Parts: sequence; C-alpha cells; structure tokens
Amino acid sequence: MPMYQVKPVCGGEMQIDLPTCMYKLPNVHAQQGNSCTIEHSLQNGEVDPAVKALEARQDEIMKKLYELKAAVEGLAKTVTTPDADLDLTVSSSLSPKSSSSTTLTGTTDLDTLLGKDLGALRDIVINANPAQPPLTLLVLHSLLCQRYRVLSTVHVHSSVTNVPPQLLSCLGPRHADSYARQMFQLGFTLIWKDVPKLQMKFSVQNMCPIEGEANVARFLFKLLAPYPSDPALATLVDSWVDTAFFQLVECSAKERAAVLRALNSALGRSPWLVGPEFSLADIACYCCVMQSGLASSAPTNVQRWLKACENLGHFACVVQFLQ
Amino acid sequence: MTKDEVQGVMEEEQQAQSKKALKKQQKEAEKAAKKAEKQAKLAAEQQSTEEDDFAKDRYGVSAMVQSQQKLDRTLVRVQDLTPEKVDQLIWLRARVHTSRAKGKQCFLVLRQQQFNVQALVAVGDRASKQMVKFAANITKESIVDVEALVRKVEQKIESCSQQDVELHIERIFVISQAEPRLPLQLEDAVRPDGEGEEEGRATVNQDTKLDNRVIDLRTTTSQAIFRLQSGVCQLFRDTLTTKGFVEIQTPKIISAASEGGANVFTVSYFKTSAYLAQSPQLYKQMCICADFDKVFCVGPVFRAEDSNTHRHLTEFVGLDIEMAFNYHYHEVIDSITDTMVQIFKGLRDNFQTEIQTVNKQFPSEPFKFLEPTLRLEFTEAVAMLHEAGVEMGDEDDLSTPNEKLLGRLVKEKYDTDFYVLDKYPLAVRPFYTMPDPNNPKYSNSYDMFMRGEEILSGAQRIHDAQLLTERAIHHQIDLEKIKAYIDSFRFGAPPHGGGGIGLERVCMLYLGLHNVRQTSMFPRDPKRLTP
Repeated sequence: MPMYQVKPVCGGEMQIDLPTCMYKLPNVHAQQGNSCTIEHSLQNGEVDPAVKALEARQDEIMKKLYELKAAVEGLAKTVTTPDADLDLTVSSSLSPKSSSSTTLTGTTDLDTLLGKDLGALRDIVINANPAQPPLTLLVLHSLLCQRYRVLSTVHVHSSVTNVPPQLLSCLGPRHADSYARQMFQLGFTLIWKDVPKLQMKFSVQNMCPIEGEANVARFLFKLLAPYPSDPALATLVDSWVDTAFFQLVECSAKERAAVLRALNSALGRSPWLVGPEFSLADIACYCCVMQSGLASSAPTNVQRWLKACENLGHFACVVQFLQ
Repeated sequence: MTKDEVQGVMEEEQQAQSKKALKKQQKEAEKAAKKAEKQAKLAAEQQSTEEDDFAKDRYGVSAMVQSQQKLDRTLVRVQDLTPEKVDQLIWLRARVHTSRAKGKQCFLVLRQQQFNVQALVAVGDRASKQMVKFAANITKESIVDVEALVRKVEQKIESCSQQDVELHIERIFVISQAEPRLPLQLEDAVRPDGEGEEEGRATVNQDTKLDNRVIDLRTTTSQAIFRLQSGVCQLFRDTLTTKGFVEIQTPKIISAASEGGANVFTVSYFKTSAYLAQSPQLYKQMCICADFDKVFCVGPVFRAEDSNTHRHLTEFVGLDIEMAFNYHYHEVIDSITDTMVQIFKGLRDNFQTEIQTVNKQFPSEPFKFLEPTLRLEFTEAVAMLHEAGVEMGDEDDLSTPNEKLLGRLVKEKYDTDFYVLDKYPLAVRPFYTMPDPNNPKYSNSYDMFMRGEEILSGAQRIHDAQLLTERAIHHQIDLEKIKAYIDSFRFGAPPHGGGGIGLERVCMLYLGLHNVRQTSMFPRDPKRLTP
C-alpha cells in the first residue's frame, strides 16, 4: 500500500438542504472507498475496462467515418466523372488488398461499383463482331461466373448472318435457372453484331457506351478485383493492356517480336507481369499472345508464364476456342 | 294621233326591232356557217387523214373482250423485259401510267403492278401521225395491248423499273378505257409526306386514299405493302407447320362474349342474338383439350372498341397460336418468338425490294431483332422506367407512352426492335391467366413488342377448372356465362399457353408505318364501313 488512509474530516451523513434550482452531482466523498480500489488497480498497470470500451467505440466510429468518407468520395467521383477508369481509388480504399497472388479475392460490392440496385437485373451488354471474338472478355466472364451469380446469354443481331455455332455457345451451357432473371446478381449479354469496334453498354441513362475490348476488359476486371492501389502499378497494368491490344494484335511481326522481348524481360523480374499478383495485364497479354499464334515462338520466361497462366484454369475457354 | 300614225310608229318600232333581230340572226347564221365550215373542214380533214392514214389498222379501241375468240398470243410480263429480250417483237398488256406527246413522237410509261417500262410511238414507216395522236390521247390508267420491238437504251431510264430497255410500239389497242378524270393521281399518292408541301405539290390525304382504295392499291407502295403482308402470312404458316402445328378454323359467330362483354359486336341470329368473335381463344383452348397439341389459326377478329387511334381497327386479321407445353410456359414463349424471328428473317431475306419501295415513301430505320429474342421481366421494365424518371406503381399496367419510352430504352441498350416482356402483374391480366408460382402478385403472362408497340399478348392459361372458377369469382364474372369454358377443363387438360398477333400491326410496325389503315386492305374502324 503506497499511501496511508486518513479518516474523513467530517461525517459522511451530513444533511444539507440543497437548492432545487441547480442540478445535482453525486457526493464525491461518499464513494471514496470504491474509487480507492480502482486507483489501486490502475496503479497495478491494468487498463480501466470503461476506457477500453470507450477507445474501442472511438476506433469503431473513426473506421465508420473513414468508410463513409471513402463512399462519399466514390459517389462524388462517379457523379462528376462517368468514366469508370477513374474509380480505382474508391474500390481499393474500400476493400482490402487481395493477399493471394493467384486468385482474385478482393471483396467488391456490386452496389458500390455499379450503382444502387433498382430492382432490374444489372445487365452488361456487349456488342461484338463475330469476326473478332473478344477472348479476354470470355476469360473475364468465366471469372465473373465464379464470383457472382451471372445470367449469361448470347444473341445474334439481325445485322449479321451465319454466326459459327462455337460463338453461340461461347458463354457455356445455359444456366438451369435462367427462366428467372431476378435470381441473378449480374447479367452478361453478348450480342454478335456488325460493329466496327467492340462496344459495351451498361447504364443507358448515366453512362455512354464503352468502346474497345481493352476498355471493356478494364471495366469487367474492376468487378472482380481492385486495381493496385499504387498509381505506378496501376499505370503499368494499363500500359500492358494497351500494349497487348494495340501491338500484339494489330501490328506487324517486327513489333510483335519487340513486345515478346519486353514481356520476357518483365517476366524475368517477377512471376506475373505487374508485381507479385496476377492481374488484368496477365489476362490481356495471355489472350493476345495466344490469339496472334505467338505461343510456340515465345522466349523462355514467356513460355513459363504461359504455362503458369494455364495452370490457373481461367483460360480453358480460350484454349478451347483457338483449337 | 290617228290610227295610222300609231300603226306607223308601231311598224317603225317593229321594223327597228326586226332590224336588230335581223342583225342577230345574221350574226348567228354567220357563226353557224363558220361552225359548219369548221366542222366540214374537220370532217374533210379527218376524212382526208383517214384516207391517207396508212396505219389505221395498227391502233384503235378494240371491241369489249367478251371472249369472242381465243387468241394464241403470248403476252410478256413487264418484269421480264430485260436486255435479253432486245430486238424481239413482243405483245404486252399493261396500264398506261403516263403519256407525254412531243411533236412527232409520244412517250408512254406502261405499268404492270410495281413494274414499269418506257414505250415510244414515233411517226415512221410503222406509225402514222394519227397513231401518235391517238396514243397521246389515251387516258391514264387505261389498259392497252401493244405490240412492240424491245430496244436497248443508251442511258439508263431512271424513272422506270426496267431501266435498260424501252419499247418501240408498232400496234396499240385500248382494251379498257379509264375515265379521264381520276379521283387521285398515282404520283401524288406515293409522294413522301414532307416533300409535297415543300415543292407546292399535291399530296393525297388518308381518307381520299381509302375512299378510292382501288386506285390507291395500284400504287407501288400499296403493292409492296400487301405483297409483304402476304409474305408474313405465308412465313407464319410455313414456320408453324414445320414446327408441327395444326392450322384450325374457328367459328366467328359465337353465343357468348369470350373476353369480357364490353367490346363485342352483337348480330341478330334468327330469333335471338349472337356475337362476333373477339378472339378464337376459347376454341383454340378447346382444341388443346382435344389433344391437338399445337394449333394456330389465321382469321378475322372483331373488336367493338370505339377508339380512333392509329393502331385500332374494328376488324383485323388475327394470327393466333396455342400450344401445350411440358413443364414451363417459356417453352411457349420460345416457340412464338422463334416463329416471329423466322418471319423477320424471311422478310429481311426475301422481301428487300418491297421494303425498299415502301421506304421510299415512308422512310424508316430497318427493323432490327435479336436471335434468340430478348426477354425482360416486368419488374425490370418498371425499374428501367423509374430510372428514366417515370413515376408508376409496381403493379400498374404500362400506359401507351410508357410502352413507347420503354421501347426506346430497350432499343438504346440492346438495339432490338422486338422483345418480350414477361411476368405481368396478375391484376392487369384476364381471369384465365395462370398466377406466378412464387409471387401471387405476378402472373405467367407476357407481351411482345415491336418498335415499342404491343403486338402480342399471351399467357399460360389456367387449365384447372377449380382454380379457374376461383379466379372468375375473384374477377366478379358471372359463372353461368362462362360455364361452357370452365367445363372444357373438367375432363383433363394439358398445361398450355399461347397468344394472338394482329397481322396488320405486325406489317405496320415492321415497315415503320404510322397508321394501321395503310396495312389493312379495306380497313374497318368506327368511322369507316366502306369500301
């Protein structure tokens, strides 16, 4: 006991007539005995549970506030800039970074990404030309199917005739519950149509159509996992995606060879194209390498990486398609 | 004054009068003489011309064809006049579309249905001056027989359907003469809407066209519309027949109103009265109960609705489908939408000329569709409309403007003019509609839309007498009146569904026209019972 006790100077049961016009406080002296034991425990290095609770509450409130702030910022961004490409900070701040390097585990909420659910099926409509099947999107579709309940439908627009049967079945067999559209979280409607450039329509009211396979792939990938929160990495992913679509698919053999060399050196440094994680860059480059028929002539690192990609099992549909 | 004097004055007056009269008479006589002289001159001229008209047996008004003789003459169709026929002498029967005399020659445009060809009568060793004059005086729309030489032309004739050849007429005979005054000009009737006003040219309004339907139907536009309509019917029959459907005929005079009693025509039937069928619904369903499995029928349907809109008729042709299904009524939807898609494909592939012809007068975007057909659910449609700022209850029926708006929204996103809206609220559908198994507020019913307008309404029907009775009571329908209908389900009925399409509406919307009267040959509406 570090201090001695002193007897109270005056009696505890002193009766005083207190005026009623003021608020009352508990008697400080009456609880002296109890407070003493608390002081005692505090001095033993224990934390007051009340303080603990308070701290926990504060933390919780702060966390909620941060989340709210992020959500509001996200909303503000979607309102001011309908271009979905700028939303990456929102999704990354809201969801923890995916820890594993090969599976896409970022928890993404469709409500935050695609806007509030109004009761209609959130249907992503993709218009693609049967002359250029969008392989990347087929891969992303199969990944989306693993994550969400996706209603996939394939239509043929009246502007094209004679679509090969493999294109009609490219989204897999019909879902058993496809008669009830309300049971699905996401719609994936692929329309084979005579379009010069691949086109995606989502919300007709609030969003203009997204053109180009690369851009649509970015949009779809964000439904699966956030972009890297590091802007430099995010830019790198974007850059690889563009390289894949512009240089691997559309350019001359010389440029393709240059891209393969660049891929080779990048894959020499890390297992995947961008950082330690499997990303959209890998999906896009894989599909474009396969589509341009460069797989057999690829350098060693690229070969190893192609194998690694295939081992993930996401690309079964591409392999099947190219056969 | 003496008597004589009076007489003298009178005589003088008389004389004056007679002088005037004389003058008048003289003048008249002169006139008459001149007239006579003219006539004589004309007659003389005629005589003289007749005398020296070497080609007088090469033209004329031929005697009315009373089947006096059976000529063994082959007539060539205008559409077959191609460069292959060049330098052949052919016979042809056609209408005079236009004629234009120019000095010693006369250009005629001869028309056969939607095809026309330029023909020429020129003074030469085959045709005389009189023959040219005669040809120039043939009234428009008269039917003529011509013998002519097919000739290739240097420059394409842009105004005719046969652009590479023209006819050099050697003989021309009028078979049936048209009255010189036509109630409407064909060129005016096919002029595109806005164009006439700009150039100060005449256009013909809808009622004039319909009053003189026979002439209006001769226009290229009308020809194309009704050829396409026949195509729709043909494709409908062919597609369903290959799908194993049976065509049935149902009575049009019925004893009780099939769908509610409000909009039904009453006709006297001997000592009692009867009704004109509003739809073959009941009979289609009875055929299903009689194990026909899949049936369709094409026939007139009557609606006594006093609505004067662009899409309502009191009599129209209904294309009705009813079929038994195995487990889910979407089998029915799939069958119907596939039929529609086959029709659209058939029209797209085989009726392109007709579509282009109609488009010349009534320009519209080509009809777009998806295969398989897009199916949306009613709740989705409501959500889409909400998003677009429309206020409506979840269980309200779609109003016409909302239907249109929804059509535009769907077109914007999916780029299709044809889609199915599924799962309508039970409250807005007829009593025989099967309720949804999961949500009693909705039903297994669907509408199909073309260019944002409803063309088909259908549903899974209740095939259980007990449930049907309950639903009828809920709708406060007199059970006595529908007893026969309910009784037909008492002896075992397969689950079935179907729907009915309006032929005229399908044609109108496929072609992007704005009035259903244009696609009805002799339309019947609350204000028109003739022709």
